[in-house]
Amino acid sequence: MYYIRPQTLAKALEAGEEPGMLYLAGGTDLILKLRRREVQARGLVDLQAVAELRQIRAGGDWLEIGAMVSFADLLNNDTAAQEARALWLACSSMGAPQIRNQATLGGNLANCSPAADSLPALLVLQAQVRLLSRSGEVLLPLAEVLGRTPLWQPGTLLAGFRLPLRAGVSGFAKLGRRQALAIARLSAAVALREENGRACGVRVAFGAAGKRAFLSLDLAEELNGLVLDRGFTELACRQAKKVISRALGERASAPYKKEAVAGVVREALRTMEFVTSGEHADVDRKGGRGNED
Amino acid sequence: MNDVIGGTVGGRVLREDAWGKVLGQAAFPADVRREGQIYAVAVRSPHAHARIRGLRLDEARKAEGVVAVLTSADVPHNGHGVLYRDQPVLVADHVRMAGDPVVLVGAETPAQARAAAGRVEVDYEVLPGLFDPEEAMKEEAPALHPEIHGGSNIVYHLPVYKGDTAKGWAEAEVTVERDYQTQMLDHAFLQPEAVLAYVDERGHLVVEVATQYAHYDRGEIAHALGLKFNQVRVRTRSVGGAFGGREDISLQIMAALMAWHTQRPVKMENTREESFYSHSKRHPMRMHYKTGATRAGKLTVMEARIVGDAGAYASWSPNILRKAAIHATGPYEIPHVRVDAYAVLTNNPYTGAMRGFGAAQPVLAYESQMDLLARELGLSPWEVRLRNIYRAGSETATGQVLSGSVGMEECLKAVKSYLGEVSGR
Amino acid sequence: MKIELKVNGVDRRLEVEPEERLLDILRERLHLTGTKEGCGEGECGACTVIMDGKTVNSCMVLAGQADGHAVTTIEGLGKRGSLHPVQKAFLEEGAVQCGFCTPGMVLSAKALLDRNPHPGKEEIAVAMSGNLCRCTGYDRILKAVERAAGEVEQ
Repeated sequence: MYYIRPQTLAKALEAGEEPGMLYLAGGTDLILKLRRREVQARGLVDLQAVAELRQIRAGGDWLEIGAMVSFADLLNNDTAAQEARALWLACSSMGAPQIRNQATLGGNLANCSPAADSLPALLVLQAQVRLLSRSGEVLLPLAEVLGRTPLWQPGTLLAGFRLPLRAGVSGFAKLGRRQALAIARLSAAVALREENGRACGVRVAFGAAGKRAFLSLDLAEELNGLVLDRGFTELACRQAKKVISRALGERASAPYKKEAVAGVVREALRTMEFVTSGEHADVDRKGGRGNED
Repeated sequence: MNDVIGGTVGGRVLREDAWGKVLGQAAFPADVRREGQIYAVAVRSPHAHARIRGLRLDEARKAEGVVAVLTSADVPHNGHGVLYRDQPVLVADHVRMAGDPVVLVGAETPAQARAAAGRVEVDYEVLPGLFDPEEAMKEEAPALHPEIHGGSNIVYHLPVYKGDTAKGWAEAEVTVERDYQTQMLDHAFLQPEAVLAYVDERGHLVVEVATQYAHYDRGEIAHALGLKFNQVRVRTRSVGGAFGGREDISLQIMAALMAWHTQRPVKMENTREESFYSHSKRHPMRMHYKTGATRAGKLTVMEARIVGDAGAYASWSPNILRKAAIHATGPYEIPHVRVDAYAVLTNNPYTGAMRGFGAAQPVLAYESQMDLLARELGLSPWEVRLRNIYRAGSETATGQVLSGSVGMEECLKAVKSYLGEVSGR
Repeated sequence: MKIELKVNGVDRRLEVEPEERLLDILRERLHLTGTKEGCGEGECGACTVIMDGKTVNSCMVLAGQADGHAVTTIEGLGKRGSLHPVQKAFLEEGAVQCGFCTPGMVLSAKALLDRNPHPGKEEIAVAMSGNLCRCTGYDRILKAVERAAGEVEQ
């Protein structure tokens, strides 16, 4: 295996076209996979020196986030904290400080673990994915990219994400076995706009409930246009159970996650300040423990 | 800081070893090296129960940098263990748990050792495993250690009987009967096992290791290698956590064997995954409890059957199940008691010492029983305990009369205000 | 491959294998064994070092990635007689048990105090959350960081 560190996008693309070459972002997933021999590489193209990939920029109607932006970089960015709340929350819950300093948002998508923390948030924030290759640049909705296997063709370089600005409010919550260093057992992101007290443009996405993070169009449709009160939260929690139940089918984790999702959605809504969260958490807890005694 | 460090009784003391630790100078065994050291890696069984039909070692022996490839045939006395020498240094033919070491590869670099270990071929005949201790203790279950432990997998049974349980049941007005089960746990001490073994200028075998039990290690190394005690020196390096998990032999004898065989310094370092394979676990216990009390909330009788899963090797199982039996009543005075505790061999990872040493598991059972009794009696969990705790003069289930220093009552009273409104639900 | 990095203020030029990790380079090539390997997969934080002012798990940084960067290990902090305030606080607060997590803990605390000399309890807890202590001495460790923050202030 050999290692190169190109300084420009053009050089990086050229190097990545060679067979057997892999792009190296933060490396917190790839290095482990290489060491476990789950992935083979003839060489690594380290993207750390390509300045364009490290930028977070707000301009016009868009927030641009480079693929090499680390989780810690994003947490330190005020625009992202305001405009991409769900993503900011997802980044703050990922790993531990050491991992957040090193791991990148581009790497999180490229690795595409079922539990990838940033993906449900990016989905509800309507992220577009910027892909570069010899044939030029394309922008694709993240939801579309996540529907493909592989995510993109060899020789493609993930350059970053583009998110619409002023698209409403968003929230995120995650269920882990502990606070730090926890891989998500289940995560949920929600985004919407408030118009005259009603929810518009609702988007809900889930992580760690199936092979990849996904948007639930059904759930979004059910919630669109509803008054943003306690009933909204209760309905969202109730319907989320059905979504997760369908998504997980017979998996061993299904009985647990289809109950747990109500709490995760409630928490995600709570992180969006103006939505009435409904303090009826005890209702769900009782529901979940019905046949315990 | 305001208070003075030093002085005698009541003074603050700085840990002597803390200096080296905050400076990063404390030497754990992976941190020490000797000129010319080679690296050894164990090839471990992926199967929990198997016969070894054959080994193919040619490819490993030919691999780059390989110095030696050792098997059970190279071990003069192939057994070690704190109570019984039932655990092989390298398995000859009978694999009893996943992670049992079969072949030991020594090479010039860690990468070469791992690469060569990957070229060792072991032909296993996979056997059905005994994973349930209740099944393993049945008479018809195949014995896992017929040579050492005889025809039964029960390596230990301790009955603790006191009084007359029939009388106790006759007096009982309330009965609670339940089954409890605890899980297997790993100590997960932060420093994975590592050893540096070498032959010194006097021709003595020196083994530098993080261990809880240096004198025992020396005996087991000497025995396995057919050496005299005075030919083996075990040097304890900084120990990166242990919690009971470093009482048994892990890599010590393998590293020593490789050093003795090659006459070169040998380093062995477990990865975290290998570490999970190579030390004991906490005993999972199944506990059937039946407890009786009067309406006034006085315990009259308790019967318990405790089955501890010893895993593949005995390790400290007898001592641990002894402790479980002795502590089975908890700190409560019960006139009529019948406890049977068993340690049973299975093909699970072997279990041994871990914080509490068998006294930790029955807590779940006896304290849950107290809570359930409180509910039955309409008393608070605190009250039902107060009516039954050991006091000076109490007699335990083993007949020990507690003559003094019994702090339970004071303790219960001291915590009462922190418990809030606790009711019998 | 050749790499150049600054370790504890000293420029190092090294010939390494691309598969090697920063952890391997520190321990095996530079014999800076104060950096520990506890899990090899970024879970425990025993291998924490400071790279360009930020903590990283050196078990998840490849040699090439570290090329051109400045690394601080535990050996780069104080000495007997001139302890770093964090080391002094760990010593005096009794925040050391088996000691295997200590170098990583000390470096996480140092990186925090370099960035923010007056952290609150919550910020300290977050900064230390990537370092496991299996002896479970967290309370003393967090107190030691608070104490060190007080010393830095003076």
